[in-house]
Amino acid sequence: MNNYKLTVSHAPFWHDGDSIFQMNLNILIALLPAVIFGIIQFGTPAAGVLALSLSSAIVWEFILNITSKNKITIGDLDAAVIGLLFGMMLPATSPWWLVITGTFVAVVIGKIIFGGLGANPFNPALVGMAFLMLSWKTFFDFDTAYVNYDFDFTAFAPLATLKFQGVEAISDLFTSTDLLMGNQVGGIGSTFGLGLIIGGIYLILRGYARWEITVSFIAGIVFTAYCFNLANPGSYAGPMFHLLSGYTLLGAFFLATERSSSPVNKIPMLLYGFFAGVMIILMRNIGAYADGTILAILLFNLANPLIDTIRPKALGKGINNA
Amino acid sequence: MTKRPFFTLLKPGFNYDLVESNPEEPESIPLPDNLILLLNEPINSAKKSLIKKGDTVKKGEKLCLYDESTEYTISPVAGSISSIDIFLDDSGNTSTYLVIKKDQKETTDTITYDLKDDITSADQYLRTLPGKPPLKILATNDNKINTIVITCIDTDLLTTTSQYVASKFSNEIKEGAQILKKLTGIPKICIAVPEESNIKEKFDTMQVFETSIRYPSNFPALILKDHLNIMLSAGQAPEDVGVCFITAEAAASMAIAYKTKTAGFEKHLTVIGKQGDKHRVTATVGTSLGKIFKALDIHISNEDRIVIGCPMQGIATYTLNHPVQSDMNTILIQDKESIHQISDSACINCGKCVQICPANVPVNILVRYLEADKYEEAADKYDLESCIECGLCAYVCISKIPLYQYIKLGKHELSAFRDSSVELETANE
Repeated sequence: MNNYKLTVSHAPFWHDGDSIFQMNLNILIALLPAVIFGIIQFGTPAAGVLALSLSSAIVWEFILNITSKNKITIGDLDAAVIGLLFGMMLPATSPWWLVITGTFVAVVIGKIIFGGLGANPFNPALVGMAFLMLSWKTFFDFDTAYVNYDFDFTAFAPLATLKFQGVEAISDLFTSTDLLMGNQVGGIGSTFGLGLIIGGIYLILRGYARWEITVSFIAGIVFTAYCFNLANPGSYAGPMFHLLSGYTLLGAFFLATERSSSPVNKIPMLLYGFFAGVMIILMRNIGAYADGTILAILLFNLANPLIDTIRPKALGKGINNA
Repeated sequence: MTKRPFFTLLKPGFNYDLVESNPEEPESIPLPDNLILLLNEPINSAKKSLIKKGDTVKKGEKLCLYDESTEYTISPVAGSISSIDIFLDDSGNTSTYLVIKKDQKETTDTITYDLKDDITSADQYLRTLPGKPPLKILATNDNKINTIVITCIDTDLLTTTSQYVASKFSNEIKEGAQILKKLTGIPKICIAVPEESNIKEKFDTMQVFETSIRYPSNFPALILKDHLNIMLSAGQAPEDVGVCFITAEAAASMAIAYKTKTAGFEKHLTVIGKQGDKHRVTATVGTSLGKIFKALDIHISNEDRIVIGCPMQGIATYTLNHPVQSDMNTILIQDKESIHQISDSACINCGKCVQICPANVPVNILVRYLEADKYEEAADKYDLESCIECGLCAYVCISKIPLYQYIKLGKHELSAFRDSSVELETANE
């Protein structure tokens, strides 16, 4: 009877069975509708860019794991998620070196040098994107990027048109239904609004994305765009246009909700989402950029540690006995 | 049973089990030949021991190690001491265990105690009664305690031991409450029962708290908050704010002990097998767990896990010889296939622990401090001591970080550090 070797470990003796691999796999699944639509819309070059982006992100992480003599962490699929999200923001005509440079910045500078998974202060995919957009601006002009394509819809980038031609131009060219169904040019995976919404809601229902951030982000955009539109309908577009164009929906459901760069307490999550949304519209309506999603989210990633200090009092702290 | 549901928009959680309306009688485990008793005092070889190997003991005899010892145990059988050795618990504290070999011939002689109507007298003999009445606290607390809460609720998941005792021995519990009132002079005695159960009806003459069936609302800190409107400050125990918790079984066994002037030794337990099958048993304090499994025909194989207490916060034992103790309510057996792995992944800041924590502890930040051994900062800024130790954070942790272990270790190290700094100060003066 004494010879049994029992397993001895620490409580709790139950676990809900979830894992980082499961979570990232679900994010990849949630991204699929928009990805498949993007490949159908923009053809083989889009598939090429996505494949290169996803694989190079994994390879960069693998190389860094080897050179830093750490545990190989590509199995948790986090690099795959970064690579896919990154590729979805690129135009289908991006050259190979642009993709590889971008994933290097995203994975290595955005994530690994801060300590890897969970330690990144910014969303890695956005760090890569911001780097490329500031360095090689011309590749992100979607009007010239798709100049050789023959679409059966208006092939102007909605936000650039708004910026340079004004509200009259967009009111004729883009209907909300067109934008929602992906009849617009833009990043490979960011044009199909309906697919992003379905994927995002799936993630929220599965508990892998925090709904507070998404809802307040959308509220911030709608509220600010509505106020601008109300003040001067002649110069500022309405909330639906802003919501369905550019990277907005990708940002709302997948970029702003990145875990380690966003807050976890209720009120901070609402503040973070709302003000990131406000900031996007400010950048679009007043700032110099056609689409401010990337920089706005990065800016609020920076504010995350500060606003996440707003939290409820822990049990027995700061309250005198009644 | 414990897996994550497919859709989890609402936060996950557990409900306490409720006792059946017409519970079966418990199965009685036969008295084994050898009983193992734990004595909460380390062996000190420099001192002359009062008991030694080979001593004969009577049923009900009080056993303590040294003249000045305040800790004692009571022998549940007549027999002889066959060994005395060091017992190491899961946090590395040493105490002592005694093995008592039962006499072959059956005797019914039991030592009767001279129990007087004051708490010190009860504390001298009844500390080890089934349910473990907190007599030491009541006797030494200099009347600071003004409320006693009798708990007819189980703090452990899956268990119905306390509720069963409450439904079967309600008269004894009421007598126990009267005895406690008389011994301590504390007028306010309340009783906590689960809502949605019929136990409440049996205690209509007392002040009743109905606790939610949602885990962990049966924890003392949360009962204080929800029903007595007392906020326990971080690091305080309920007795520091004048409330003493006593289990239903302890109250009932106090009543029986005062009636018969002898100590009781039959402990009620709920044993949960590998398939979730539940057995209600009574066993003599000191019976080894292996004997219970044998009687219930539960087969244990290598690498299985035996959990004493709640699946969320119990302890895993390393030996089948672990004895039944007077405060043990639950034994859970897990098959080796169902044991999950923990990992050394970093926190990914998913926020599930923060969402589920009943004490609003910022676990995501706290764990970073604990991993870096920054225990004082963890306590000052990130509410280490507010934790009520329910284990829910580690249950939902997607990185499978042993959060509960980090927190327990943090509290342990912190108290060790504070003790040593107090010693330093007194030495300097």
